[in-house]
Amino acid sequence: MQQFDNQEILMKLKSSKQFWDIKKKLKQGLGDQQKIGVNDIQKLAQSCEIEDQLIKLISHILKKSKKRETLKEDQIEFLNTSKIKWTELLFKNLDIVHQKTKNQEEDDTNTDSKLYIYDEKNLLAFLQTFKQQQQSNALYQNVQFQSNKLLNINIPLKSSQSILDKYQYLLLQEELQDDKINKIRKQIENEHLDIELEKIAQTFVPNGERCLLYLKYFEFDHQETVLQQNFAKLQKECLNQLFYDELLEIDGHEISEDTFYFVFQEQILTCLKCFIRDRTIKENIRIQLQNGVKKEHAEFQLPVTGFFPFKNISKYVAPLCYLSTKIHIIYALFKEFFCRYFCFLHAISSENNSILSLCMQIEEIVSTRSPKLFHHLKVIGCDTLKLIIHQLVYCFIGDMDPPHILTIYDQIIGHDSLEILVILCVGFLNKYKPKLLLAKNQENVQQIFSELREDRFQELVQFAYKQ
Amino acid sequence: MQNKKLKWKSDFEKSVIIENFVNRGWIKSQEKEEESTDWNVYWATVWNVRNIFNPKNGFRLNDQQIINHFPNHYELTRKDFMVKNLKRFKREQDKEVLETFNFDFLPTTYIFPGEYSLFVEEFHRNPNQTWIVKPAARSQGKGIFLLRKIQQLKKISGTTVTSNMTQLNLASKENYVVSRYIDNPLLIGGKKFDLRMYVLVTNYKPLKVWIYNKGFGRFCNEQYTTDVAEIENMFVHLTNVAIQQYSDKYSQKHGGKYSIDALKLYVESAYGTDALQRMMDDIHNIMLTSLKSVQAVIQNDKHCFEMYGYDILLDSNLKPWLIEINASPSLTTTTPVDKNLKMNLINDVYNIVLPNDDFPDNEQKCNYLFIQCIEQQPTKVGGFTLLYDESLDPNNRKTQKRQSVKIWK
Repeated sequence: MQQFDNQEILMKLKSSKQFWDIKKKLKQGLGDQQKIGVNDIQKLAQSCEIEDQLIKLISHILKKSKKRETLKEDQIEFLNTSKIKWTELLFKNLDIVHQKTKNQEEDDTNTDSKLYIYDEKNLLAFLQTFKQQQQSNALYQNVQFQSNKLLNINIPLKSSQSILDKYQYLLLQEELQDDKINKIRKQIENEHLDIELEKIAQTFVPNGERCLLYLKYFEFDHQETVLQQNFAKLQKECLNQLFYDELLEIDGHEISEDTFYFVFQEQILTCLKCFIRDRTIKENIRIQLQNGVKKEHAEFQLPVTGFFPFKNISKYVAPLCYLSTKIHIIYALFKEFFCRYFCFLHAISSENNSILSLCMQIEEIVSTRSPKLFHHLKVIGCDTLKLIIHQLVYCFIGDMDPPHILTIYDQIIGHDSLEILVILCVGFLNKYKPKLLLAKNQENVQQIFSELREDRFQELVQFAYKQ
Repeated sequence: MQNKKLKWKSDFEKSVIIENFVNRGWIKSQEKEEESTDWNVYWATVWNVRNIFNPKNGFRLNDQQIINHFPNHYELTRKDFMVKNLKRFKREQDKEVLETFNFDFLPTTYIFPGEYSLFVEEFHRNPNQTWIVKPAARSQGKGIFLLRKIQQLKKISGTTVTSNMTQLNLASKENYVVSRYIDNPLLIGGKKFDLRMYVLVTNYKPLKVWIYNKGFGRFCNEQYTTDVAEIENMFVHLTNVAIQQYSDKYSQKHGGKYSIDALKLYVESAYGTDALQRMMDDIHNIMLTSLKSVQAVIQNDKHCFEMYGYDILLDSNLKPWLIEINASPSLTTTTPVDKNLKMNLINDVYNIVLPNDDFPDNEQKCNYLFIQCIEQQPTKVGGFTLLYDESLDPNNRKTQKRQSVKIWK
């Protein structure tokens, strides 16, 4: 994206509902004045705060017009070295997986299913190692560590209360009447400015307009031909097989067993095969996942995306298959969601949206607001984070039905943040708290979650705020 | 009033039936199975229902007995009778001044052997058309095949069939229906599917119809193709679970069943809210029109209700087509989700047909219906929603010979 000139800024302004509201206010304020000068407009705008609104609007447009840069270096040096270690570990895992696949080819009876480079448990286990390293680091000698938390690393963290406050409005959301829904539909059709689309996404997105909202938000709504062409190019590249394709096919088995997503199995695989060949991802992704350490003489390098595919990557694509019959649209949406948001769930980083921060927020809230549960889980050897890491990393996909997952996606866009997952994870633990408190060991806990259950978005939000 | 010790009998050893009856505190009829008449609630096969209502058997149901089929349900649920009745009803409606029913949901169909010559004419008019041949009274996809050449009819005639023949002698005594094959089905993930939806009829005169909110799409395991080389590949074309379960891609986990709720979300998200509404309105039209078509011929016995399994195919324009109506939709459960659905389905059926385990007598039933006209009646029971109640239809005009009713909306 390039910096806009004045004409482009004006075009962007004119595509915003807020601009027209401002203009209407000005017209009403100026009334029937015959001669209107710039000073008159400025005076009026200053007096009723219209000037501030306009400034905010323009600065937002300018901010969005700046090229998105990939975060490579973390403010905390310790995490930069950790990222290197993580990448080295993943390269080792890749070698092991490659050997396993070779063994399977030679021996049909060997059906080792752990054919993935890493999963969420591996990621959490790696994050856990930070605590011991920090404790031995002379720089942090004066920092008190709470030994009962799995991750209590010294990184700047938003206050948990601010996250709870931010999403409290969800408790007041009521079912909307048809006339209000129709109004929202019209808003989505007419609005182009992302700040306005975010407001809509925070409130309610009708199923029939969700795809349009997402396309507009990502500025794809007039780009279909380009998206189609780009996707076609990637599909052509898929004719050359990569080792990672095999891992993606194996990964797809789980989604092929899901009652809500099995119908999209082939589409999901196609999207992922294109994804790992997409060179534009490296420059579009908001945060670097592996640090691109090149291993000499290695049989495999990092994919051109700059990171390894991981277990259950298929899950991120699946819900988006509901939004369109066109695979190039599904792909474009998945790519954007991953590059903007889901990448943080796999990033060794102190950023607000990173898996590390989200985990620490969850531990903080549960240990403070549900200390009994927090302690009980520790005692029975079933840590809070270990219990919800799967739901957190995969945004509850597979745990909630698609309409609720899409509501999560709406909230992610609505706040340009993954913090909604903190709320939902806390709610999830609170919902099952009575049963968890009766559990005596890990087997009991597994039993609770193996039963047929239905978790809903609004329900988990309600539980998150229950004391 | 609930948990009366009603006696139940079932011809099906299906957990969703038996568990439901037991959960209600009902007790199994103790008389010897085949001859037992000492029951209040009977989930019967269609053959046993036929025997029960056969006047030669001299058996009369009492006021404390309820059974799950109408005596001549086959008017709707045999493929050839369904087509015959729909065509007849259409002819009757065409004569009416007010055209209120849309019949454009039945693919062009011919009944063999009687309409063979008509079929041959149509076949020659459209040589590129594929047809689907089905035995009129069988189920689970048995005996079905796709037809591109007249010579293929040797499968059912037993002798060589040529394109200039005007008569077809069938090897077996059964009828066949031959329909235009919908070769542009709606595909999801590149695969063909049809819908199974449940409809409960508690009364034909006046017609009272409930539609269940849960159903499912039954998916083929192979990618759909119109390639002639794959025309005999049933894993591409026939959605019956009984067929698809033999595919090596069949999954025990989901059984190829995709919930109606998921399908609705997909259609609404990918095609728009209006498109979904139109599709559902068209599906409801299929249900009501098909039921109205047999209203005059079905023996409306007060002891009877029927839960139908409607099979509907959506084409690529989201237009629904009626494939068939099943009198005994499968109650076999292939997955936990499937079991949950069917358990709730049967439970809700009995909550409607035997509210509080009460058997209203005929007079009470009439009074009950009358009172319901005045008072607010339930339009939702569990997963069932009242789709149509003719007794509340202000435009209902009954004549001695025929009925002409607008669908009440």
